[in-house]
This record gives sequence, C-alpha cells and structure tokens, in this order.
Amino acid sequence: MDRKASLTGLFVLMCASVMTFTAIVSALVVRRGLGHDFQAMPLPWILWPNTAMLLLSSVLLDLARRQLRRNHRISFNWLWGAGTLLGAGFLAGQIVAWRQLGEAGVYLASNASHSFFYVLTWTHAAHAAGGLLALLFVAWKAFRFELGPSRRTAVEVSTFFWHFLDVLWLFLMLIIHHYAA
Amino acid sequence: MTVFSRDHRVIGRQYFYLSLVAVLAGTVLSLVMRFHLVNPDAYGITPELYLSLMTMHGTIMVFFVLTTAPQNAFGNLILPRQIGAERMAFPTLNMLSFWTTVLSLVVMSAAFLAQGGGPLSGWTAYPPLSAVGAIAGPGQGMGQTLWLVSIAIFCLASVMSAMNFIATVIDFRTVELMAMPLTCWNWFVTAILMLLAFSVLLPACMLLLLDRVGGTSFFLPAGLLVGDQLLTAKSGGSPLLWQHLFWFFGHPEVYIAILPGMGIVSHVLSVYSKRPVFGYKAMVYSSIAIAVLGLLVWGHHMFISGINPYSTMAFSVLTMAIGVPSAVKTFNWILTLWGGQIMFAPAMLFALGFVSMFVTGGMTGLFLAQPILDQYFHDTYFVVAHFHIIMAVAAIFGIFAATYHWAPEVLGAAMHAGLGKWHFYLTFIGCYAIFLPMHFVGIAGNPRRYSDFTTFQFLAPLMPIHRWITWSAYATAGAQMLFLLNMVMTWRKKKQ
Repeated sequence: MDRKASLTGLFVLMCASVMTFTAIVSALVVRRGLGHDFQAMPLPWILWPNTAMLLLSSVLLDLARRQLRRNHRISFNWLWGAGTLLGAGFLAGQIVAWRQLGEAGVYLASNASHSFFYVLTWTHAAHAAGGLLALLFVAWKAFRFELGPSRRTAVEVSTFFWHFLDVLWLFLMLIIHHYAA
Repeated sequence: MTVFSRDHRVIGRQYFYLSLVAVLAGTVLSLVMRFHLVNPDAYGITPELYLSLMTMHGTIMVFFVLTTAPQNAFGNLILPRQIGAERMAFPTLNMLSFWTTVLSLVVMSAAFLAQGGGPLSGWTAYPPLSAVGAIAGPGQGMGQTLWLVSIAIFCLASVMSAMNFIATVIDFRTVELMAMPLTCWNWFVTAILMLLAFSVLLPACMLLLLDRVGGTSFFLPAGLLVGDQLLTAKSGGSPLLWQHLFWFFGHPEVYIAILPGMGIVSHVLSVYSKRPVFGYKAMVYSSIAIAVLGLLVWGHHMFISGINPYSTMAFSVLTMAIGVPSAVKTFNWILTLWGGQIMFAPAMLFALGFVSMFVTGGMTGLFLAQPILDQYFHDTYFVVAHFHIIMAVAAIFGIFAATYHWAPEVLGAAMHAGLGKWHFYLTFIGCYAIFLPMHFVGIAGNPRRYSDFTTFQFLAPLMPIHRWITWSAYATAGAQMLFLLNMVMTWRKKKQ
C-alpha cells in the first residue's frame, strides 16, 4: 500500500464526504427557512452515551496507533480490538436510537425535521459502517501480527478516518440540536 | 486482457468501449427523436415515449459518454505515462470504479425498459413531477426510481475515479506540477470538479428518492394537485431546492465534459504544428479559473425559476466572466498555430474543429448568460443548439482528436488518415448543418421538449428547417460509419 497516496486518497475522500454533508445541511437550512412546518423532535437519550462511545473508540484507536509506532504490538492489538468493539457499539447504538424514535412515533416521513434527522444519521452511519470495515480489516491483520512500525499505513488511514467521523458526528449533533430538537 | 483487470491501460480501453456502446445507443435515440419530429404520425410514438427517448439520450450522452470517455478512458490510458508514473495510485479502486459505472449503465437500461414506461423527466429530473411517483403519469413510476438509483451509483463511481486521478497526480508524478503536460493538468482539474460535483449530486438523488419512496417532502410543497389528485401527505418542500442541488452539480458537469478536451486539444495542436503550446502558464491558470468559476454559476440555469433578481445579476456576471479564461485559451491555441508547420492529420483537424465549436458555442453562451434574454430563450431550441455545440460536439471532437492521435494506445495501431479526414469534414459540416439552424428556430420561439410541432400554427413555417435538421442528423450519423469502418480496419491491421 503506497503510504503517501493512501493519505492523499483519504484526504480526498474526506473532502467528498464534507461536500455530501454540506449539501444535506444546506438543504436542511433552506428547507427549514421555506417550509414553516418544522416540528421539534425528542432526541433519544442513547445518543449521548453513543457520542461518548464514538469519542472513546477514537481515543483508543489513536493510543493503539501510537503503540504500533513504538512496536508494542501486543498492546496495539488490545487497544485496537477495544476501539473496534466500541466502534461497532456506536453503530449498534445508532440502530437502538432509530428504534427508540420509531417507538416515540418519529418516522422518516412524519415531519421534515424527522426526515433530516434520519437522512443525516443514516449517511453518517453509512460512513461509519465503511470505517468499521476498515477497522476490522486492520484488526484481522493485527491479530496475525502482520503490522509493525513500517507497516502501519492502513492503521493510520483508518484511525484518521475514524477521527473524521467524530468531528462529523459532533457537527451533526450540533446541527440536529439547533434545527431539529 | 482480463475482464477484472487492475491495469490502467486495460481499464482505459474498457472505459473507451463502454462509451462507444453508449454513444451508439445515444445516437440511435436522437435519430428516432429527429425522425419523429418530422413524421409525428408514423409508428405511433407517443409523447411519453418521445420524452423517454429524450431523457435516455441526454442521460446516456452526458454521463456515459461525455463524463466517461474524455476523463476516464483517455486519462487512464495516457496520464500515468505523461507524468512518469508506472500505474494509477489505486489499481483496485480503478477497477471497481469502472465496474460500478457498468452497473450504473445496466440499471439505466433497466429504467428505460421498466414496467410503466422509461423515465421521462429529462436528465435534470425536476420535481415535483419526478418526485410524486406513478400518479404523475407513465414513466414516473419504476422507470424514474431506477433512473435515480443509476445516477446515484454513477456518483459513487465518479468519486472513486476522481480520488484515483487526484492521488496519482499528487503522489505518483515524477515531473514538477508546472512542467506537467496540459492534458494532465486538465484531467487533474476535472477530477477535482468531479469530486466536488458528484458528491453533491449523490445526496440530492438520495433526497429525491426518499420523496418518491419514503414519503418525505424535501422537494414537494403542500397542496400539490397532480392529475386530479390532491397530495395531502406532503407539505413545505421546495422544488427549487432540487434545482439548486442539481445545478450545483450540473454546471460543473459541463466543464467535466469539456476540460479534458481542452487539454487534449492543446496537446494535439502543439504536436501537429510542431510548436510548443503558447502561454503554458496562462493555459494552466485559465483551466483552474474555469473550474472555480464553473462552481459558482449554477444559478444561470434558474433565471426563470423565480430566484431573487439580485442573485440572477451575480450569477450573470460570474457566468460572463468565464468568457475571459475561455478567450485566453482560444487566443493561446491560435498563437500556438501561428508560424507553425501545420500537418492536417485527422487528429489535428478534429482539434481545430474543437476550437471552432468552442468559439461558436461560447458566443451563444453570452446571450444566454443575460437574465433578460434568457427570459425569451429559455426552453427554446436556442438553448438546445448552444449546449449541444459547446458541450456535446466540442467534447466529442476532443474524443475524436484523442482517438486518432492515440490510436496505437487505444486500438493497437494507427488509423487510416484518408478516411479520418473524410470523417472529419463530413462530421464538421454535418454538426453545423444540424445545430446552426436550431439557433434560428429557437429565436423564432420554437420550444424544446415538444414531441409534435405540427399542432402549433406559429411553428408551421419552421417545419422545413426541422426537416433540414433531421436530414443533416441522418447524414452526420451516417458519416460516423467511416469512423467505425476505420476502427475495424485498424483492428484488422493490428491482427496482421
């Protein structure tokens, strides 16, 4: 895997994702300004522990990345495994959040604010699912001890992408809180 | 040649042949449309079928020919070698990007054949009619849904391709950026535009799809009466929102189609006049300027959609500003030729044809950029003539120039020059014969997207011109047989 090109590719991919989310958020701002039909929606409580889980997974993955640079492969594996597990936990938590909303009568089509909540969180979850696949790929390589200080491109690319998902999620929480909740 | 090859040269050829299939299909569709316009009672082509043919023609040509061939086919074939790279940055992603494009074309074909009729909202798919589903009439059911799915898949393929081009140029080149051939510069700038534009079209398609199948109202206002049904479940959405999102992609798309052609033409003009490109730096900066301005002018497609008059003025000024870097390019092309030892090979002729089409199409762009003139010209054949010349014909001439010039790369041997020249002269005259008269019928007020002009008294005097256009289209399509024949001859030569 070419290291420089992989990092460039990641940056380019993040630009594309930023454009995608900017488009949806702009649509939200315009739609809210035009429609006068936005209803406030209850935010499921699980979003808060979920946010904490995502941030913590990012911290663990980054600690793991640093351990690998020092060639501490065993502690890398433990930290990476825990980070990946928490990442999967975040996605599972998102599914619980959607179910909680469904039980509260908040559906995709029930109001424009609900529609945007689902679209934004689905799009983020699609990104997180892709990120999780990358984390699992690295985990698979890690547990076969195929990674090391000179073979860490996949580790760095997936960690940075996961950090990007954190920032994106915090931004979305802010937007949802401001416009939908 | 393996089917799922990761070799950029094989992938480049695969893209080329995919575009060839698409351009043949798109041309046949346009010929059926032109036939119907002058023989509206023959073969029972309904207005819905006509609109469906038009939608498929536009979609196939814009996405699977103009976006695919100049950038992905020739970019893959030529770019790595011109920047001194052994391969593209992500070979697997490259292969995936090609096969995702194939999948998109398959879904698009399914859309055309879908139960309830093929999609008929045009390549712009404006809501509300494209968003309400089958109650809007034939073709608005499964056909339109599949159309959106296909375009969403195409967006993913384009983003993958753009990632590959950008990373290859940044990390795999062995030459300085300001020493990179103009072909590569334009492929690079186009890749950036593709990345920014398609990543906005993707969520737009998603939202429209949800309006159709998920019961949302992003683009659907309250109290909408479609047919004789009042849509009570929808409220508060705005069809204009789709137009903003679509044209934020749609206008850069024009430059995605033509910028690679500009690079190819700069290269070909320089080679066949034995002169270096005049004003290299100005050419690079003008490409960047065109791309930046191209991202800021989407509103000129919405002059009569009811947007704020102050914003139309801003969009108008920015649109006309694109004339400046475009003129820089044109003057530099002419000065590249100045004093050169010009060889009129087929590639050179098509490059010169490109410059001619670019100037002609660009001039009418200045008319359409004026909001007050666009009030009149909007939705007339003047617009059809303008965008076909600047976007379609010019870009296709770029593709032809590249095919003749790099035939050994694409087909395995050089093409026959004599046939190539005949192909050029007939195509050049044919394209002007088709599209120049379209300006006049447009000025006379002939609306576009109508399937039958004979029922309108004021259009009756224009029918002879339409017959001329149709016969010119037949002849120009016939002239393309020379190109196909030349390709077959080249394959046979390669085998010998």
